Amino acid sequence: MVRRKTNIWPYLLIAPALLVILSVVFVPAVNAILMSFQNYDLRRPSQTGFAGLANYIEIIKDPLFGEALVKTILWVVFGVGFQFVFGFILALLLNKKFKGRGFVRSVSLIPWVTPGVLIGLMWRWIYDGSYGVLDDILLKLGLIGDKIPFLAQESTAFPSVVVTIIWQGIPFFALMLLAGLQGVPRELYEAADIDGANAFQKLFNVTIPSIKNTIFVTTLLRIIWVANSVDVIFNMTGGGPAYSTQTLSVYIFNTATSLNLGYSSAMSIILTLLLLLVAVPYLRSMFRNQEA
Amino acid sequence: MKKILSIVLAAATAVSVMAGCSKGETGSQAGSGTGTGAAATSLTYWYWADNSSYSAKMQEIVKDFNANNKSKVKVTAQEYPWDGGAYSQNLFTAAMGGGGPDIATFKLTSTPQFTANKLLANLDSYISKWSEKDDIDKSLYDIMKQASGTNSIYVMPWNTQVLYVYYRPSMFKAAGVSVPKTYDEFLTACKKLTRDTNGDGKTDVYGFSMRGSKGGQEPWGSFIQARGGDFTNFASPEAIAGMQDFINLYKNHYAPPTAPSDGFNETVANFKSGKAAMVIHHIGSAADMVKTLGNDVDAFVFPAGKKQWTSLGDTENVVFDKCQNKDAAFEFVAYMATGKGQETWCTATGNVPVSKRVQKLPAFQNNKFMKVSIAGQPHAGIFPVRDTTTDWINTVWPNTVAAALSGKTTAAGAMQTLQKGLYGK
Repeated sequence: MVRRKTNIWPYLLIAPALLVILSVVFVPAVNAILMSFQNYDLRRPSQTGFAGLANYIEIIKDPLFGEALVKTILWVVFGVGFQFVFGFILALLLNKKFKGRGFVRSVSLIPWVTPGVLIGLMWRWIYDGSYGVLDDILLKLGLIGDKIPFLAQESTAFPSVVVTIIWQGIPFFALMLLAGLQGVPRELYEAADIDGANAFQKLFNVTIPSIKNTIFVTTLLRIIWVANSVDVIFNMTGGGPAYSTQTLSVYIFNTATSLNLGYSSAMSIILTLLLLLVAVPYLRSMFRNQEA
Repeated sequence: MKKILSIVLAAATAVSVMAGCSKGETGSQAGSGTGTGAAATSLTYWYWADNSSYSAKMQEIVKDFNANNKSKVKVTAQEYPWDGGAYSQNLFTAAMGGGGPDIATFKLTSTPQFTANKLLANLDSYISKWSEKDDIDKSLYDIMKQASGTNSIYVMPWNTQVLYVYYRPSMFKAAGVSVPKTYDEFLTACKKLTRDTNGDGKTDVYGFSMRGSKGGQEPWGSFIQARGGDFTNFASPEAIAGMQDFINLYKNHYAPPTAPSDGFNETVANFKSGKAAMVIHHIGSAADMVKTLGNDVDAFVFPAGKKQWTSLGDTENVVFDKCQNKDAAFEFVAYMATGKGQETWCTATGNVPVSKRVQKLPAFQNNKFMKVSIAGQPHAGIFPVRDTTTDWINTVWPNTVAAALSGKTTAAGAMQTLQKGLYGK
């Protein structure tokens, strides 16, 4: 029988990271859960105390919450969906050999490495209805007859912020999928060629099944990140006009900065549960496929 | 095992949503709080400045105070952006977290949340012993008391800004419009000044540069009061009529189509670029307007309808309760209120001084914008200071007015929402 020696080094090495994660993620998260059951409004400190499910009941009655929930679903579906489509196309292009590929790969990362606050401010000026470059281009191309105040009207504000988040997220998908594509064995394509497969057949029968797990993980990460994203919308519209760009995370942020921490905590718990509803089946299905 | 792993992984990633909401993680910008310990010899002061020139002036003022104060303290001035009012929230977050400054530039609307959490020093005993207390009008002290909801003063007056209407004389001349003397004339002027100047069928100049974003409640308040409304009952027929006027200006295209999202920068840019003939702001913009437009800018007090009202912008200083050298801190806020700090700052920014002595100086008596400010002062007032006011200004007002401007809600519906947002009923 082989006697196993207890080695404490691995535990010691991960301890600092674990401590940091516990203190900056789990402690505040537990605190948020506790606060969600309290009347915790710093504007009225004398009324602070246990409130049971009052915050959750109020959320159910809150029309702004329902509106923000619908906006969040649209924000994630269109935002992540188009990021995936365009990111995949970009990854396929960058996987081909061509002159200057390294340069194009570097440049295509710019939206991803640009801070969200800067992206928000930049696109706010691009969309500006008086001095924005987008209106200028569209006018010169003759596509519009008059300037469109993209961020000032409800009908265009939300699509505008969605386009911005798509632009920001494409490089991340491209980068991750490109890494996946580079791991696909060339033999599979050679075999497909011998079998007479065309480009689409190779894409759907070789490429996509080979990078399925990368697609799963990347999409899941983006769903969570995009659902939690505040910086872009906050800097472009603040959630307006008329709450038309207020997603749940922006609503939570606005409520928290209004100092109603109990209510904003309750909303954040609900958002977390909603994300878990997506994330758990998603990951379980991914691991099940791996086992198969 | 993999199932458990998947759940743990999902939970770990998703739980970060909650983490950001907790009190302990609210992105405090805590200052050094150097004024701790008995008879602290250094104090931190937070302020905001509208441009780099004002910023340099503040540093100069603090340098002068540090060289000459009786308490032998050193004040370190730290600048934070106003950021549409986020300054006040950042200050509050820092103070609640035990950080923040010893002294800070302040807005009255924030008073209830700071006093409710016992963050500010009571200045009553300092002011009662202060030899220059009568240099500030008693009414201002009363406003400070009213804002705190107590009979005590927690906020030291510093300077005020009275909102008025900037206009382009050349555009008035071209449109055949004279300076409005009544509210109805003002509305007519908005219509007449909206023009297609090059005959291409599109509007090139709008009558009024409307502010629909944060801070827009101040000019908007003049419309409500001009129809006879007030801020205790937004749902009154008079207040609704004022709101309808505001909506009509936008719907009839007398204001730029970007108005619902236009804040300070956009409204002033519209005016300076010639896209709008009138804009409402205070004297803080005067130097910049003159620099851009030369003599082609003048001002008038928002005219009277059934009532006359304009917004009194206020900026004060506060001493925090945690400050360990309140005597020195009071010496600083007194220097800013009636001393050389008052004179230097108000001269540089053009803000209306609270010191009667400084108001009489030639620099303030010979300035046309200062004259309009002083003429507007009798009609100037503030919005009700409640614990809901900050949220009402930052979220409720801009979103509700945007909905009204787009036709999503009526004037009456919007005013009921505004009433509920501020008063809870």
